[in-house]
Amino acid sequence: MGTITVCPYCGTGCQIVINEYGSSQHIIGYSLSPVNEGKLCIKGYSGLSYNFSKERLIKPMIREGDSFRNADWNEALNYSASRMREIISKYGPDSVAFQSSAKCTNEENYLMQKIARMAGTNNIDHCARSCHSPTALGLINTIGAGAATGSIGSLEDTRTFFIIGTNTTEQHPIIGAKILRERKKGKNLIVADPRKIQLSTSANVFLQFKPGSDIALLNSIMFVILKNNWQDNDFINSRTQGFEEFRKEIEKYPPEVTEEITGVNPSLVEEAAMMIAKERPAAIFYAMGITQHIHGTENVMDVSNLALITGNIGVRGSGIFPLRGQNNVQGSSDMGALSEFYPGYVRYDSDNVKKFEELWGKKMPRNRGLTLSEMFDAAADGKIKAIYLMGENPLITEASVSKVEEGINNLELFIVQDIFLTLTAAKAHVVFPAASSLEKEGTFTNTERRIQKISPIYKPPGEAKPDWWILKEFGKMLLGMEDYSSPEMIFDEIRKVIYNYSGASYDNIFPIGKQWPINKDFPEGTEIMHSKSFPIGRGKLIPVPFGYPAERADDDYRFIMTTGRNYYHWHSGTMTRRTDILERESPEPYVEINNDDAMMLKIRNGQVITLESRHGSIKIKARITDKIPSGIVFVPFHFVEARVNELVGENYDPISKIPEFKVVAVKVIP
Amino acid sequence: MIIQKNEYLPEYYNIENVKWETPDIYTINIKTKNPGHSGQFFMLSVPGTGEAAISVASGNGRDLSFTIRKIGSVTGKIYSSQKIGVRGPYGKGWPWKDYDHIVAVAGGIGVPPIRSLLEELMDAGRNRDVSIIYGARTPSDLVYKDRFEEWSRCVDLTITVDRGDEKWGGNTGFVTEFIGRKNFSKDTAIFIIGPPLMMKNSVAEAIKSGIREENIFLSLERRMECGIGVCGHCNVGEYYVCEDGPIFRYTDVKDKPELFL
Amino acid sequence: MAKLFKSISEEYDTYGTISEQGEIVFGQVRGFKDIVDGRSKYAPKEFLISRNENILYLPKIEKKAVFGIRSCDLKGFYIMDRQIYGKDPFYTARRDNTLFINFVCREPCEGGFCSSFGGPVLEEYQIQVIPDGGKYLVMVSEEFEKYMKDFKVVENNEIEKFRKDFDNKMEKLPVEGIENRIKWNSKLWKEYASICISCGACNFSCPTCYCFDLYDREDERLREWDSCILAGFTSSSAGNNRPELDERLRQRFYHKYVYYKKSKDVYLCTGCNRCTEDCPVDIDIKEVITHDYSKE
Repeated sequence: MGTITVCPYCGTGCQIVINEYGSSQHIIGYSLSPVNEGKLCIKGYSGLSYNFSKERLIKPMIREGDSFRNADWNEALNYSASRMREIISKYGPDSVAFQSSAKCTNEENYLMQKIARMAGTNNIDHCARSCHSPTALGLINTIGAGAATGSIGSLEDTRTFFIIGTNTTEQHPIIGAKILRERKKGKNLIVADPRKIQLSTSANVFLQFKPGSDIALLNSIMFVILKNNWQDNDFINSRTQGFEEFRKEIEKYPPEVTEEITGVNPSLVEEAAMMIAKERPAAIFYAMGITQHIHGTENVMDVSNLALITGNIGVRGSGIFPLRGQNNVQGSSDMGALSEFYPGYVRYDSDNVKKFEELWGKKMPRNRGLTLSEMFDAAADGKIKAIYLMGENPLITEASVSKVEEGINNLELFIVQDIFLTLTAAKAHVVFPAASSLEKEGTFTNTERRIQKISPIYKPPGEAKPDWWILKEFGKMLLGMEDYSSPEMIFDEIRKVIYNYSGASYDNIFPIGKQWPINKDFPEGTEIMHSKSFPIGRGKLIPVPFGYPAERADDDYRFIMTTGRNYYHWHSGTMTRRTDILERESPEPYVEINNDDAMMLKIRNGQVITLESRHGSIKIKARITDKIPSGIVFVPFHFVEARVNELVGENYDPISKIPEFKVVAVKVIP
Repeated sequence: MIIQKNEYLPEYYNIENVKWETPDIYTINIKTKNPGHSGQFFMLSVPGTGEAAISVASGNGRDLSFTIRKIGSVTGKIYSSQKIGVRGPYGKGWPWKDYDHIVAVAGGIGVPPIRSLLEELMDAGRNRDVSIIYGARTPSDLVYKDRFEEWSRCVDLTITVDRGDEKWGGNTGFVTEFIGRKNFSKDTAIFIIGPPLMMKNSVAEAIKSGIREENIFLSLERRMECGIGVCGHCNVGEYYVCEDGPIFRYTDVKDKPELFL
Repeated sequence: MAKLFKSISEEYDTYGTISEQGEIVFGQVRGFKDIVDGRSKYAPKEFLISRNENILYLPKIEKKAVFGIRSCDLKGFYIMDRQIYGKDPFYTARRDNTLFINFVCREPCEGGFCSSFGGPVLEEYQIQVIPDGGKYLVMVSEEFEKYMKDFKVVENNEIEKFRKDFDNKMEKLPVEGIENRIKWNSKLWKEYASICISCGACNFSCPTCYCFDLYDREDERLREWDSCILAGFTSSSAGNNRPELDERLRQRFYHKYVYYKKSKDVYLCTGCNRCTEDCPVDIDIKEVITHDYSKE
C-alpha cells in the first residue's frame, strides 16, 4: 500500500509515495504530481532514515540543573504555560517571543502566530527571516504578492531562463532538472552566479559576477534593454508606474562602467539582456544569492523591475520564481509567522487587523514585533525573557551565533519543540518531543504556492506528538484557546482568515494540491498570477541604486566568503546528518577555495586551514576547486563542527533584517 | 537452496592486546586460530559504528591478528573496544603453494598480508623460498620493528625507507630499487601489495627484471562492505575485489582501466 | 485466473498491482479482481531486497505470491540471481519463497526495449501469463504445474505468433556486441555528467541493480539500497577510484553492458526503460546502446 505525502526537504514540494513493506520504506516520486512528475532527488530517495533514528526525542523533558528529567505531557505543558503566564504578567506581553518554523505545516504556523498574538505580542517570526523575508517585503511592495508568479509546470512554455543566485540543481534539484530538460529542447539559459555551478556548464550565457554586485549587474542588463528599446512599452504603460524616474536611475549603469564592480564582460550582459527582453517568455529564478545581503530587499525589487519592464510577468512561461529553501517557507509566511504580518500579509499597523480582532475575539497588538535576530539581541539585553521555539536550530543557522548564545543564556524560560535534541534544544528549560512530517497530518505550501496535503505514514516514537497538538494544548492552557480536534479544523479556520486560501479544503487539494489564490474568484486555484492586474493595481518600478556590501575585501581580509548549502545536506543537518547515505557523501565541513589561491597560499587539498573574519574564526578542511573564482571562498553552513556563522557579522538589510550571509570578508590562514 | 546461516552475522571476540606499531598503526590479537590464509581478509566491526575490511596479519592456524591503521570511524574505535565482531575469512589468498620461489614486496601499511605469508611459509618450513622487500616512508612509519630481527634470521629480508633520519643505518630508496637486485629464476613469482603508485612501479620493475607477467600477483584495495560479492562496491572491471581478489594475477587485471586508482 | 489465484492463495500471501490515486503500486490483494492491469510505477525489487533492513537478523520469511509483475521486472531477478543468489542469505531465502506470476505486455510500452533483451515472453519464469482479451494463456514451470492440474493443456503456436507480432511492433536495438563497441573515453560520459543531478533514480528504479550500502545505527546493522552515481560509493580510506561524476556514470553503463556480460554472460539490463523514465534530466540509456562510438 502506498501513502502520498510531501518530501520534507526543500521548497519544491515533491510528492512522494511511501510504500511500506514491514520495516522497509520504499519511496517513489508520485507520477501524477505536476510538481515533480514522478521524479525525486537523492534527499527524497535516500534522505528519510533520520525518521527512525534512536536519537529521536520521545519524552517531554524539563531542565534540572545541567541536565534534563523526563516529564509527562501534562506536567511539561503546565509548567511551560504557567511560567510564561508569570513572565507576561510580570514584564508584559512583549517580553515573550515565538519562533515558528518553515519545516512545520501551515496549521502549526498559524497556531503559533495566533498564540503569540492572542498573548498580546507580535514577537513572532521564523526562519524565512533568514532566507526570503526580502521576497515577501520586496515583491509585496512592487507587485503586491510575495510569491512565485507562475508554476513549475508552466516552465514548459518558457523560452529563456534567467538564473541568478540559485544553485538550482543542488538546492532545488527537481526544478533544476526541469530547467535542464527545457534547455535540452533548445531553450535559452542564462546563469548569473559567482560560482561555477552545475547549470553554468549548460548555459548559453554565464555571468560570473562578484558577490554583492547583483544590483549593478541587473541595472546594467536593464540599461542595455532600455538603450536598445527592447522593453515592453505596452506593458510598462498599461501595467506599471514610476517608469520615468526608474529610467533615470538605470541610465547610470552602462555595462562598461559596471564591469569594474561586477567583473562581467559587457558583451555577455548585452547577450543576456537581449534574450530576456526579446526571447520571451522569460522566467527569472532566484534564491539566497539575491536575498541574503544588506541590499536583499532592493535586490528582489530589482529582479521585479527586470520582469516588469520586459513584460515577463502574468504570461505562462514567464515570471519571477523565488525558490524556497524549506518545504513550507511560502506557507509559514502566508500564515503570518512574521513579525510585521498577520495571516495573509496583513500589516501589523493596517486597519485590517480588525478582522482578526473580530475573529479571535480579542484586541490585537498593533506594534511591530521583533525579528529572529532582534529577539536574541533583546534577550541578551534582558528585554525578552521567554522564547518558545519550534523546529529551529538558530545556534547553527543564525548569523553571529555567539550573540544568539548570549541571548539564550539570558532567558528565564526557553521552550524548544523538536524531533531531536539539537544544539539549541540542549539549552532549553523545557523540551517538547515532536512528530516528524512523516508522522502527522497537515498542509505545506510549496515554492509555486501549491497547497499540498501531507499524511502520516508512521507512528511518532514514544510520546512524541504532532506540533499542532502540542501548540493547541499549550494555547489552551495559556490562553484558553480552542481545543482543535484535528489539523483540518485548524485549516478550516485558516480558510476563513486568509482569502487566498478560502477555496481550498482537505478534500479538494488531495492528491495533487492547488495553487493559491484559491477563492470564489478562482475556485480551482491560480497557476499564473497577475495575468490581468496586480493586487496593488499597477506594478511599481522602483529605482534601486547600487551600494556595496557591508564588508569588502581589503589588505587584512583579502577573501570574500560566501555561505550556503550543499546538495546532500539541508539546513543545520539535524535530519540529513542522521541519514547515512547523505552523511557518507558529505561527512565533514569544508571550504571551497580556488586552485590559484590555494597554490599561492601553499594549501594542499584536504589541509586544515583557518578562516578568520572580523567576527570570529573557524578551522576547516580546504577543498580545492576551479568552480569558485579567485578571491572567493565558499563554506556550507550545515556543520556543527565548524559553525561558519561564527564568522558572519551583524550586518542586516535595514528593510527585511536579513543578515548578509553571502558576503563576509575573511583571512585564509594555512 | 536452503540457507540457514546468516553470513552477515559476525562472531564476537575479546581483543587480547593492542600493540601500537606507530602513532597511528596498531596490532590486535584475538584468541582464536586464524581459519583463513595469508592475503585473505575479515570484516571487523564495532557495534554501533560499522564494519571495515581488514587483511589478516597472522598465518593460517596461528592466533588471529590484525594490524590496523587508525583512519576511519571503525578503525579509529577498534583498539579501544573490548569486544569486536569478526566475520570471514573472505577472498582469495596468496597462491604461494604454486611457486618454488617468491619475492614479496610490501609498501607502507601493505605489510600485514606479507607477515601472514611469511608465517605460513615458516610453518611450512619453506622460509628459504621467499625474499621480502618492505619499504615505508620513514623509519617511524615501519611496523613490526620488533620482529625484524627474528625474520632476518630465517628469510632474505630487505627493509628500506624513502627518507631516513639521523639514527637510520639501513637502506634508503623505494622498494622498486631493490626488486631488480634479487636473483630470479623464470618461475619466480612476485607478490606485491601497497599504495597504488608503488604497486604500479613495482610491476614495471618486475617485468623489467624478467619475471613473467603471469607470475605477478597484486593485492588490491577497494571500498568493501559485504565481503561476499553482493554489495557491489569493490569492482575492478568485471571482478569484485572481495570475492575474485583481493589477490589477483596481474595478467587477469592488467588491462582494467581503474586498476591503479 | 480467479481459480488459479485461489489455489495459489491457499499457500501464499497474495500481492499484486493496485492503484493508489492513479499510481500503480504493489499491495496485498485478496482476489484476482483486485489486481489492476498495468505496469507498476517501480520495479518490485523490494520483495527480495529490502530498501533498508537490519541484516543482523534473518526474519521469518513468508511465502508470497506476486501477481502482475511485468516480464522486464521479473527478468531482472533471473539476471541478478547469477551474482547474488546463494550468497546473500536474505535475497536467497526470499527468492525461494516468492512466486512471481508475470504478466506479459501485449503492446510495447513507451520507450521500452525489452525485446532487445529477449522479452517480453520469457524463457525463465515461474508462472507466466499472456492476457488475451479476457482469456489468459498461462505458461507454467514444472515446479508449479500442480496449480494447473484442473486446467486443460493446449499445445499451440500462439506464443510463437505473439512473439513475432510483438517483435514487429517494437524495434530491436543493436545490443549484440555492445561490450566491444562501447568506448571508455566516449564523450557521452562527460555530456551526461554535465546534467546529471546524482539523484540515484536510475539505480533505485532498475530491476537489475542490486548494490547496497551497509551502516550501523545504534544496535542495528542496516542494509540500504545504494547508488553507484554517488561519490561515496567507492570512496575509502585508500582514496576514491571514481572521484568524478562522468567516471561513475560510465561505471553504471559498463557494469550493465560490459562487466556483467563478461563475468555472467548476460547483460545487466532488461530493456524496461525505467531508468530513463525516472531520470529527471532525460538521460536515455538507449543512447548508450545506439550511439556510434566508431565516429568518436
